[in-house]
Amino acid sequence: MAITLTVNGNQHTVEIEDDTPLLWVIRDEIGLKGTKFGCGRALCGACTVHLNGNPVRSCSTPVSVADGQSITTIEGLSDGDTLHRLQQAWIDHGVPQCGYCQSGQLMTAAHLLSYNPTPSDDEINAALSGNLCRCGTYSNIVAAVKSVADAAEGA
Amino acid sequence: MGMNRRDFLKVSVASSGGLLLSLNLAGCSGIRTGYQEDSGSWRPDAWLEIGRDNQIYFTLARVEMGQGTYSGLTTLIAEELEVAPAAIQPRFAPVAREYRNPLYKLQLTGGSTSLATSWQPLRVAGASARIVLIKAAARVWQVPAEDCRARDGRIWHPNGEDSLTYGQLVELAAGESAPDEPPLKSPDQWRYIGKGRGRLDSRAKVTGTAEYGIDVELPGMVYGVVTRPPRYGARVDSFDAREAKAMPGVIDVFAIERGVAVVADKYWRARKALETVAVQWDNADALNVSSESVMDFYRQAADDDAGEEERGDGDVARAIESADRVIEASYEQPYLAHATLEPMNATAVYHDRGMEVWAPTQAPDLGRIAAARVTDLSPDEVTIHTTFLGGGFGRRLTQDFIEEAAAIAYRVRRPVKLIWSREDDTRHDLYRPAMLHRLKASLADGRVTGWQHQLVGPQILDWYVRNAAPAQYPWAPKFLYGTLGSVGLAAEGIITPKDMSAIEGAVDYPYRVDNVEVRHTHADPGVPVTWWRSVGHSHNAFAVETFMDEIAHQLGQDPYGFRRDLIQHEPRHLAVLERAAELGDWGQPLPSGRARGIALHRSFGTYVAQVVEASVDNGEIRVHRVACAVDCGQVVNPDIVRDQIESGVIFGLTAALYGHITFEDGAVRESNFHDYQLLRTQQRPVVDIAIVESEEAPTGVGEPGVPPVIPALGNALFALTGKRQRSLPLTARPA
Repeated sequence: MAITLTVNGNQHTVEIEDDTPLLWVIRDEIGLKGTKFGCGRALCGACTVHLNGNPVRSCSTPVSVADGQSITTIEGLSDGDTLHRLQQAWIDHGVPQCGYCQSGQLMTAAHLLSYNPTPSDDEINAALSGNLCRCGTYSNIVAAVKSVADAAEGA
Repeated sequence: MGMNRRDFLKVSVASSGGLLLSLNLAGCSGIRTGYQEDSGSWRPDAWLEIGRDNQIYFTLARVEMGQGTYSGLTTLIAEELEVAPAAIQPRFAPVAREYRNPLYKLQLTGGSTSLATSWQPLRVAGASARIVLIKAAARVWQVPAEDCRARDGRIWHPNGEDSLTYGQLVELAAGESAPDEPPLKSPDQWRYIGKGRGRLDSRAKVTGTAEYGIDVELPGMVYGVVTRPPRYGARVDSFDAREAKAMPGVIDVFAIERGVAVVADKYWRARKALETVAVQWDNADALNVSSESVMDFYRQAADDDAGEEERGDGDVARAIESADRVIEASYEQPYLAHATLEPMNATAVYHDRGMEVWAPTQAPDLGRIAAARVTDLSPDEVTIHTTFLGGGFGRRLTQDFIEEAAAIAYRVRRPVKLIWSREDDTRHDLYRPAMLHRLKASLADGRVTGWQHQLVGPQILDWYVRNAAPAQYPWAPKFLYGTLGSVGLAAEGIITPKDMSAIEGAVDYPYRVDNVEVRHTHADPGVPVTWWRSVGHSHNAFAVETFMDEIAHQLGQDPYGFRRDLIQHEPRHLAVLERAAELGDWGQPLPSGRARGIALHRSFGTYVAQVVEASVDNGEIRVHRVACAVDCGQVVNPDIVRDQIESGVIFGLTAALYGHITFEDGAVRESNFHDYQLLRTQQRPVVDIAIVESEEAPTGVGEPGVPPVIPALGNALFALTGKRQRSLPLTARPA
């Protein structure tokens, strides 16, 4: 079936079986490889994108659910060359090791800050509890989110 | 053709755990050095290329899988070349002799060796280029070279005002000769080493633009998926692909050596078609073990065969005879999966000039062998492009995913991307071996007089040599590959060095005890195994450091003081032990319901001691804090050292709390992250790290954080509950 998606502000129409996970449409039909495949069962969070502003696991979301909807991926988190403040914080804190989970971590953290600009450590941990990192970068992730929250609080 | 000109690349090492072969092949390499007319750049050696446009490229001969080589090794070159690390563009190396790991004589990344093996050669490479650039500039200005200096990508005239960029000098520099032994900067002159300035690959990794293997895209590319037998060693007997072949987008369905492959124009179409393929497996040679039967097999093996003596100091038997008391304990550890977050994958295309493969691999030259084995090509006709790796931990030293992709691409004659599912990845891993340890200590007059350690399990080299041996005999025809594997094994100790994978961390028992015996009973139940972050240390540290704790309690001694008294003769061990005890508040009061455990372990040349603070809360183990002292020699990037040690702590805690791969009737029960769990952010302890100052040569940090945390947590739980846990994973409710 024909599916129309708005991804990072650009409209795409793809002809695809409607049970295809959104992940593979984003990666292989639209060509945005920043969203990662980790588990295929919504267990690791590497594939997290925003669907109408809310985080979803794209590996387990049929593309038909997203028909006519608006999606933001890691490529859409920055504003052109201007990084999202979380992305800058990730660099400043040297967060990524292998880096494979970080798109999902960033998308989840960005959603958290969108409704709670000054989260506590517990709130950050709770929001990110579904995003696995095999390299164990968690403490740097929380510190990076916290630094953005602190800046917001000071502003 | 540039010959391999640098003697230091031929370092031969007698006692590493890797494969070593003393064949002295005088072959030329494919790395052209000197001035390159076509590109207008100068290539002083295999690692560096400086363009007329001042662009500096560094060929990174070790892969980047999160451990920080991309930044760490670039920093070494940058320091001596006198440019900021960020001014250098790293490129992943092609397969060439220059890029082999001198410890292994193979181009692979593992064993926490990248920094140690690159420390000298990369600084020399950078310094040689710097000096040649200075000589070229001195010739231009007609001034003494000693009076010129390099700084920030320029050579400066003695007058301190005039300068030439490296790019302006490359053509001239190519005509200058490099010094045999260029002087290296002294530590007080370092501007980048030891300063810690984040990572060079961070921006690509936070914007989604870093290219991992799974992201490779080729024109006309199709997708391959494979179903493999649930029981290792089974073969395809027959399969019915009629339904699959009629499904949209399906291009072909066929058997390969390891299973049945479906190729389709889209990944999801291939995956869905694969579900309809009914395979009859021939289980004649299939694995038929359970986790229980493996341990029974080990126990029987231990009873039947005392094993090879790997270390014998003094006379343990006599020490036991004359002891006041003898303590014995057995420790058991399960199989463990690597669970890299990026599942196994590779992209291959077969064309008239050979095959090209793009893959996240830790051993690209072994990838060539794997691809050659299943095609009509020789390894030289296979090109491997290495990408970023979404985790490695030893898994990607084995090239089964490249072999599968190559077999599929050879058959369909189109570019193919093979992607494993998470279930494939969990169930068709090569595992950290399950192990059994039997320990015995003799005590007399309140001290330890004898230490006996019998460990039971397989050797990893037995599993690896089939892939690795042909890479060391590049002249060998393919039909000999199998033989090379068995010859390498038959001649172990002669052709290949000793396989330390099972015994490392046990034979180097560091405490001062007069009579020490370590034996390995070689028992291989047929489950595929390979290196797993920290390898033998991952199980030996648990056995040794838990038993040390048991002895301390039997003697009524403080576990820290007991260790400290027995390690006085080893200053680097002692220093990290004391530092960790101090940092971890050893002996200080704790909130009720909490306890501390301690452990000390050296691996990969790096010394680590840890104090773990834990409790049991609502029926779950809670790890509050890990205090960690590290001596890894001189520090190139303190941020990366801290991150890697913390990463190892999380990795070790994941194994201690959750890690188990369970075999039932020859098949693996676990499949995905719900039953093979990883530690989550809210479960992470506070990790405090102290780096002990050292002037020793740098050693690895990717693995040494893992081993001690497992026994340190177990020891804390004993202190808390009074119940000793001797098998992993640990539980909140010990029987």
